[in-house]
Amino acid sequence: MANASGTRLRALSASTRLAFLSFLADPQWVIPSTIAPVVFGFAAFELYRYAGPVLVLEAVLGAAMMSMWGQTLYGSGWATGQDRELGTLEPTLTTPTPYLWVVSGRVIVNAITGLVGGVLVYLVVAAAYRRPLPVEQPLTFAVLFIFVLLTLASVGVVLAAVYVYTRYAGFIQNFGEFAFYIGTGCMFPVILLPFWTNPIALLLPPTWALDALRYATLPGYVGFSWGLYWDIAGAVATTLIYIGIAGTIFRRVEQHVLESGNLGDY
Amino acid sequence: MEPPAIRIQDLTRVYSARKGFLFNEVVRTEALRGVNLEVRRGEIFGLLGPNGAGKTTLTKILATLLLPTSGRAEVLGLDVAKEAYRIRPRIGLVLGGERGLYNRVSGRENLRYFADLYGIELAGRDRRIDDMLQLVGLSDAADRRVEEYSRGMKQKLHLARGLLHDPEILFLDEPTIGLDPKSARETRKFVRSLVAGGVTIFLTSHYMFEAEELCQRIAVLTRGRIVATDTVAALRGLVGGDRTIELEGHDFEDAELDRLRRLPGVSRLLTEEFGPLERITLRVRGLEVDLPRVRSSLPGRPQIEIRERRTSLEDIYLDLVEEEAL
Repeated sequence: MANASGTRLRALSASTRLAFLSFLADPQWVIPSTIAPVVFGFAAFELYRYAGPVLVLEAVLGAAMMSMWGQTLYGSGWATGQDRELGTLEPTLTTPTPYLWVVSGRVIVNAITGLVGGVLVYLVVAAAYRRPLPVEQPLTFAVLFIFVLLTLASVGVVLAAVYVYTRYAGFIQNFGEFAFYIGTGCMFPVILLPFWTNPIALLLPPTWALDALRYATLPGYVGFSWGLYWDIAGAVATTLIYIGIAGTIFRRVEQHVLESGNLGDY
Repeated sequence: MEPPAIRIQDLTRVYSARKGFLFNEVVRTEALRGVNLEVRRGEIFGLLGPNGAGKTTLTKILATLLLPTSGRAEVLGLDVAKEAYRIRPRIGLVLGGERGLYNRVSGRENLRYFADLYGIELAGRDRRIDDMLQLVGLSDAADRRVEEYSRGMKQKLHLARGLLHDPEILFLDEPTIGLDPKSARETRKFVRSLVAGGVTIFLTSHYMFEAEELCQRIAVLTRGRIVATDTVAALRGLVGGDRTIELEGHDFEDAELDRLRRLPGVSRLLTEEFGPLERITLRVRGLEVDLPRVRSSLPGRPQIEIRERRTSLEDIYLDLVEEEAL
């Protein structure tokens, strides 16, 4: 047997591979992650084609986020729910690998497919618009685009832990889906929402990252008054907190499910 | 001295569930009530019991999937509650059934995934997977999606996965349930061959003949308690003898039953009704009572059906479970 860190990296790579193979084998994931971005892209283009390139770009961002958030955030939680449904959660937990590493592999695949979805939206609109979409800071945009995925994934890992904890996690997910989507600024800037929603939204890493992304993308964008760099700092800090929470939660959740004995429920 | 494969002391497990509209009602169920047990290394140990007796709960505790409420359970000398991560690489769990596999990928991919989670040496991994597939007879179907497998093939894949990392103890929960007779026989043969290789088997089953055929020792668990642990031969003595005589007829009278009960060597008399038919079962020790003697004790019933057979594990099991229920 390999040492602990070697085993964990093997587990991460195995989980990534299995998630990718399962993704390719399942039309219910392939279709939304390839066709949906194209539909979102065309919808965004049709709505804003005469409003000028900045608004088109804003629409592209919203549509790209729409494609990415479901794939990255909820894909991670849902995969754990599927482990319950397939009955694979128990055999996985009897292995020496902590479950967090298995979830992390899935998050990687979901983040990559989410990224592909986002890029597809951009390409579809750019091709249909036949004009350059002026990104304010292209390099910062590219880095932040990937970072947004990381922030979504960090929430996804926490959600996956909830799925291990209870078979009713789907209820929590469906209940919070729309609020999360609007509240973090996936579709439009959070600043447009009533002020009282902002403190709640700022508890979630994607809110900071998406605001930063808009600063880096849209010329003349006015988001949170503290600006791009504090947005980035906030995103990094909250993401680190979520990753920390995920690690702690997984250990506690594993302990809890061994006490409650509900691993086999689905 | 090497610790036993499994040692269980005063083990209890209580499930608590919240019920009611506001989940304010707590329902407690005692699944295990003071279980004591020891399983030796290299034996096939059978755990029998009716539905809801606590078999799966006990298996899951030993497989580190569930924590005990009180008491202590050790696997290979390690505490299941505190040293789960040290136990896991050394045990295999086969829960069986249709679930527990990734259906959209192939059998080989399933094994590869679990081989990596167990940290099997990369250099020998693929050969080990091939060996396991061959061992359970799935080499030809290795690259087919699991969703195309029959139930028997899935069961074989479960077994292959359980053995992949060369465990010292294999927990088998109903390994032949749902299998056709040929596959079930192959599985039993396979399980026997594992013990020859030094693996300890902890088997739970509803099939008495299977447990009798495979297990060196057996424990009967009912209502969360172990009511007997021994070899099948010794358990026969426990329930009143290794011979069983059955009589079938109508409307046996109390006086007739008393005469049967007083025959020498008869240790137990059980009655069952099958519609209009009544069956009397006698557990008999020694050879003093034979069929003519039983027949002669019922002079008014020349046409009565009488037969003798060896006391089976099923008889033992039913006697023990019924005794506990009284």
